[in-house]
Amino acid sequence: MITYVSVGLLALLALSIPVGIVLFLLGFGVDLFFSPFPLIKGLGNLVWSTSNNATLIAIPFFVLLGEILIRSGIATRTYSALDRWVSWLPGGLVHANVATATMFSATSGSSVATAATVATVAMPQAKQLGYDPKLFSGAIAAGGTLGIMIPPSINLIVYGFLTQTSIPQLFLAGLLPGLLLALGFMAITVAICVVRPELGGTRRIFPLPEMLWALLQLVPIILLFSVIIGTIYTGWATPTEAAAVGVAGAIAIAAMFGGISLEAIVESVMGTVKITSMIMLVVIGASFLNFTLASAGIGRELSGFLEGLGLSPLMMILVVVCIYIVLGFFIETLSLMVVTIPIIVPLVVGQGYDPIWFGILMIVLIEMALITPPVGLNLYVVQGARKSGTLSEVMLGTIPYVFVMILMVIVLIAFPQMVFFLSQALQ
Amino acid sequence: MAQQLLANLRWLNRLVAMLIGATLFACAAFVLADIILRKLGSSLGGTDEISGYVMAIVTSWGMGFALLELSHVRIDILRGRVGALGHTLFDLFSMTVLSMTITLIAVRCWPVLERSIANSSRANTPLETPLWMVQLPWFAGWAWFGIVAWLTLLAALLLVLRGEFEASEATIGIFNEQDSLQ
Repeated sequence: MITYVSVGLLALLALSIPVGIVLFLLGFGVDLFFSPFPLIKGLGNLVWSTSNNATLIAIPFFVLLGEILIRSGIATRTYSALDRWVSWLPGGLVHANVATATMFSATSGSSVATAATVATVAMPQAKQLGYDPKLFSGAIAAGGTLGIMIPPSINLIVYGFLTQTSIPQLFLAGLLPGLLLALGFMAITVAICVVRPELGGTRRIFPLPEMLWALLQLVPIILLFSVIIGTIYTGWATPTEAAAVGVAGAIAIAAMFGGISLEAIVESVMGTVKITSMIMLVVIGASFLNFTLASAGIGRELSGFLEGLGLSPLMMILVVVCIYIVLGFFIETLSLMVVTIPIIVPLVVGQGYDPIWFGILMIVLIEMALITPPVGLNLYVVQGARKSGTLSEVMLGTIPYVFVMILMVIVLIAFPQMVFFLSQALQ
Repeated sequence: MAQQLLANLRWLNRLVAMLIGATLFACAAFVLADIILRKLGSSLGGTDEISGYVMAIVTSWGMGFALLELSHVRIDILRGRVGALGHTLFDLFSMTVLSMTITLIAVRCWPVLERSIANSSRANTPLETPLWMVQLPWFAGWAWFGIVAWLTLLAALLLVLRGEFEASEATIGIFNEQDSLQ
């Protein structure tokens, strides 16, 4: 059954059938060939119970809030505000790229919109100030991946839902590694620009009043982020409620700063419906495959398979990491996560690993998939937004950041307790 | 005719997407009101239950819109290596499989609604919502997704038969993120 699902998965995906549909087809196959009783009778109920879910509505809410912030020009303001603060560092604006991408992907479900916004604002300045186009665009692509780690993360909601792990706990666990990754990105940028100053463009120092004024511009967005995260952690609100608060906050901020047009609202809504439906087709398909696999007894088969391999738990994690890196060349973020959860998570958890820890490790690996060619969504997005140069420049530019991610994977495996640091500190 | 059909489908689904957006805003406002009331010591009650229903209905109805916007993710490994005719074959095949699968899902969703109607089932909650009231629009959404899928496939097939490969690719091809940013 494991072989059937793995081979079937890759074959059907290669035929470019939509990922959500592939998961349904595999579920039908498991039902037909491996289940002693007809599971398809439960399909209708499963589709109903998967989508009739108050937790999942946090997904459209978070997407909507990000779309509103980006389409009302808040991201552009944030970028120029951050520019005032980080441009004295070796690498200057490159840090603003990472920081803006981090902040906005933190509130936005759409890495496309984030990367596009940052690239559109930043690119003209990059030329003017003499930045290396490779490093500059690589930083945007890499920074844009952080959104799926730093809460509120839609990917973590989906992971929590499919593996029945606590979403607030996952959010808490993702915060520290996410911030460390952002710092790691900035540190490697500094290192590169110290060794080769010609890549880092002109460093600029802004007068203090200008910096303070810029800080003021950042207050609403930081406030919004803190309210969302704060209400979840204090138990004041569920992730869904926090997301609803976030939508209201985003509208308030947009109205306060320059306002938001009706057209921008309509576009935000369209974007939200598109992204939500895309995610939900994949999530419902994965739930169905999960259900058929569990009913057909994948648990027993997996443990038998593992005993046969005779791997130690550590070896197995390393094998899993390699599988993700290779699959990540070809399959994209959410799809990669969702198609592998039904098989990989029971396998890893069966070896005694914590599902929350593994969720965070998986997110780092999936972030890597976003910027590794040939299929790396963020590479194309950044290239599309910069309108000059070649795609391979962006690919080369992301290499240092991929190294930081690999380092993060090693740190997570060596020090798994870092994931629980915040939740223990809060108790 | 194919173009006219597609234009109509797009128009209808944009309308649906707007309604979904309005529903989402209303739901967010409702949740927000409940949080505020809770802090004041009272509660509207049932926000979780209602959010769940909204999610189920919003999800099923948004699928058709996402389909026409080419938002359902597909992997472009083999397809990217063949010419225009090859693209078309991949797209038509994938669209046929999708339409068949969605039809099967919609057919399998019907018994859920049918049972709720036959038993006059109510939710096991303080609101005691009659389930058919929420399952009917949910089921209709999946049926609509099926209809949109078959009609889109038909339109694409007509375009292909007329040799308009580019137009067909724009209808059932793979969305290029970078193109959307131009």
